[in-house]
Amino acid sequence: MDEKIAPHLEELTRALGDIEETGIRAEFDKLLAYRVPPDVAKETILRKFGGKCKVLKVKDLSANLKSFEITGRILDLGEKSIRPQNGITPQEGVQEGSSKLYTGILADDTGSVSFSSWKELPGSIGDVISIRNAYTRIWQNRIRLSIGEHSLVSKVSDSSVPSLSELSGNQAKKIIDIGAADFSVKAVASVLQLTHREVLVKGRQSKVVSGVLGDETGRLPFTAWIELPGIDIGSIILIEGAQIRVFRGMPSVNILSSTRISPVKPEESEKLAFNFESAGRDPLPLRMDEISSRDSMFDVAAVGNLISIRPGSGIISRCPECGRVIQKASCRVHGKVEGIRDMRIKAVLDDGTGSISVTFPRELAEAIYGKTLEEAEQLMLSDVSKDAVYEDLRRFLTGRCLAVRGNSSKSEYGTFFTAEKVWVPDDDLAVRVVELLHRLGQDEEDGQGIDAQDRDAQDRNSQPSNGGIDLA
Amino acid sequence: MRRTGTHSPPMEELTLLKREVAKRVFAKELEACRELEKSSRLDFQADDPKSPNLLISPLGLILHRVFIVGVITELDSIGTQNDMWKARIVDPTGAFTIYAGQYQSDASVFFSTVQIPAFIALTGKVRIYEPEPESVFVSIRAEEANAVDEDIRNRWVVDTAEQTVERLEAFSDALASGYRGEKLREYLLDKGVSPELAEGISIILERERAPQEFAKLLRASIREGLKSLDFDSENTEGANADQKEFVLELLKEMGGYKGVDYGAFVDAAVSRGIPEEYVEEVVRSFLEDGQCYEPRIGIIRLVG
Repeated sequence: MDEKIAPHLEELTRALGDIEETGIRAEFDKLLAYRVPPDVAKETILRKFGGKCKVLKVKDLSANLKSFEITGRILDLGEKSIRPQNGITPQEGVQEGSSKLYTGILADDTGSVSFSSWKELPGSIGDVISIRNAYTRIWQNRIRLSIGEHSLVSKVSDSSVPSLSELSGNQAKKIIDIGAADFSVKAVASVLQLTHREVLVKGRQSKVVSGVLGDETGRLPFTAWIELPGIDIGSIILIEGAQIRVFRGMPSVNILSSTRISPVKPEESEKLAFNFESAGRDPLPLRMDEISSRDSMFDVAAVGNLISIRPGSGIISRCPECGRVIQKASCRVHGKVEGIRDMRIKAVLDDGTGSISVTFPRELAEAIYGKTLEEAEQLMLSDVSKDAVYEDLRRFLTGRCLAVRGNSSKSEYGTFFTAEKVWVPDDDLAVRVVELLHRLGQDEEDGQGIDAQDRDAQDRNSQPSNGGIDLA
Repeated sequence: MRRTGTHSPPMEELTLLKREVAKRVFAKELEACRELEKSSRLDFQADDPKSPNLLISPLGLILHRVFIVGVITELDSIGTQNDMWKARIVDPTGAFTIYAGQYQSDASVFFSTVQIPAFIALTGKVRIYEPEPESVFVSIRAEEANAVDEDIRNRWVVDTAEQTVERLEAFSDALASGYRGEKLREYLLDKGVSPELAEGISIILERERAPQEFAKLLRASIREGLKSLDFDSENTEGANADQKEFVLELLKEMGGYKGVDYGAFVDAAVSRGIPEEYVEEVVRSFLEDGQCYEPRIGIIRLVG
């Protein structure tokens, strides 16, 4: 038996490190005891503990990621005991110590994140640790790095992670570099929008200030739970120690009592790469592969073709109570209701590098469709087909080129975009053609350049390629 | 009880649910595509049976879904019950072959109503058919199609040219670097090339014997295509230019290089919706700029 499983154990050790200590060996043996063939058991273990782990930085962290690897320095570490609640017995195979929860802050060169661990860490404040099979959770509107029973944590002695003093020094970041998990943010930005409102927090009326911050790289919403004396639209401020919280999938900068805010002096702000006017200018369109590589983006623009108008576009009914879309005059929550007519368009916008699912609310839908809700209703009533408006929308819109501005957020089904503005791009094609012809070069030059490179390439690659097809 | 999340699908599986991007590609590059064997892929998708059949272009573009805009010049109803359409859509570098059948009902309904010629925008998935070595047919199975205006066509040509030139630049860079395989992939990623294209270029450089040949042809073709765009014209004139292209296509099809009876040609063009006086005008302009000549009275023949 041992002879049979030895190679598998070796392979597991190669892929996952010390399997005796981490309890992987025990898990493997348990599978064997249930008569799982050794090679299948090995595959199972490799899948579970992530044979292929994605390596992420703090900046890349978003909600609900699974099985990734991350390396960082511990900035803060504490522990608390968790008493098991009645009725819950400790899981079999879980060590005694797991009733303790270790929490702290982990940082790398891209940011810092709060973490919690169910096992004791092989390091303390100032040490660099590497975590395999880590995951993230949303905890109190913040993204938290979680280290579970199946995570493998090791101390790294030699590392390129910046030193403790550098990390706690907290470098100022550009808005675009602020990750959704950032625990402590320092940035210089202009206040682009600002409103005061009253909200109920734990049953008490509280004043909050919310608005939008921007620099030359991007924009983010902010919420201040403290008063901001002397700060108004147009102020340029230095923020230190702000936290990022995620509200409805959108990260926002939270200004708390521990956050320091100071106005930037006029002579200092002149040296910045932006001012109030330039930070507030319309955002330039981004490539969609960039938009969909980010968890969420606030107030960005994109240009593409409407390659598909999705079902559910056209005239819809909403519940008068909650605004949900209803079918057959019945709301999921409020039962039988008198629906309110509304119009929307859901479409796939694609620019060849990525695709986003865009929702256009009524006023934008009316603008791009060229028909008002009332006109669309006329069409619906005059046609026998139930899908008359949808079909008309498809005929009118499929293939057209549009620019949109709004917020994007990613889910497992792709990138969703809520449009706040829409327009037909009117950039000068002739200018782009001149630019392209320049990049393509002249025929003659081209020919010579290619011949030289071709010979070069053939010299380097003199062995005949196997199975190649000659397409020339 | 704590949940560790090990029962949920891992990240890679989730990303497969994402909608595939519709690539912008010219006809000349698409028709030179070949099948991308799954075994040659480096990443995790390689061993996933659910992953679609992908094609790879001589420039390393990996593709499955495409979005094209061009002029529809031919439309045939094939199949026994009028339920299958075959169309030809022309761009400045060549032509795409399109199929739409009963499982592509949206596109089939559209084709049953379309007038020829017209500017068409179309999304579809690429198919490859290789009845024997050396003869390969690349076609597009239509998903959605619609009639559009000339501005959208021009914009597509410029967008597609920009994305193709970007790939051509990455390709030349890759050749000039002298790296191959994994090293080349890292080099391209470093240069900011997308992971997919970096992989595609490293795969294609393993199998191409004369990698620069196609790049050279495509460059010339795009250059000509861009020069042929006419932005200043009114829409009608633009449509005329395409009708002219259509008349020329028709002439070639009817054996224009061997000589075609003028009367029969005019009849054929009229039957396809081109006004008679317009056909005469186009043929006159062809005669004037020497694209064709009259070997005998009543016979026109293309030069070339």
